[in-house]
Amino acid sequence: MKTIDIIFSADGQSRIETRGFTGSRCKHASRFLETALGATASEQLTAEYHQTVQHQPNHLTQEN
Amino acid sequence: MSHIVTITTEVRDAEALRLACHRLELGEPVHETVPLFSGEATGYCVRLPDWRYPVVFDVDQGQVRYDNFQGRWGEPAQLNRLLQFYGVEKCRMEARRKGHSVLENQLSDGSIKLTIQIGADH
Repeated sequence: MKTIDIIFSADGQSRIETRGFTGSRCKHASRFLETALGATASEQLTAEYHQTVQHQPNHLTQEN
Repeated sequence: MSHIVTITTEVRDAEALRLACHRLELGEPVHETVPLFSGEATGYCVRLPDWRYPVVFDVDQGQVRYDNFQGRWGEPAQLNRLLQFYGVEKCRMEARRKGHSVLENQLSDGSIKLTIQIGADH
């Protein structure tokens, strides 16, 4: 299941966390919320983000 | 979890601001020009409980103007709470617009958590 969690803290800050997406698709999925809320203060890519990128098919071909 | 983004909220949607005020049982935001301690400001004005001057939101610029004399003329937590509920209402609106379901939970530390379930076709 693909979900986006948004935590709105009592100090007015908000944090978006994506779950269940493959590679960079999480960024695309949450962009509409980031744009709607305001200015991005920080972004952190997690280990899961990099792991899922590695599992994607490699379309590069090698020429000999 | 694949990525985490921290956002500084900018109030740019008058309807989401109106919904946030409604949830906090504040008066309806009115677009007007009001005096602050120093000068005047134009935008959607919200009168927070026990604040001497209104908070003025310029939704076109995403800017907020107020004068609370470093907390002596108005408790900053009131404004933070309004920004918190603005964010909740804005995200609910945007998620529904895209057809996503939204679940809201109040957390023990005062935070509010929205869980947006993304459909299989996204």
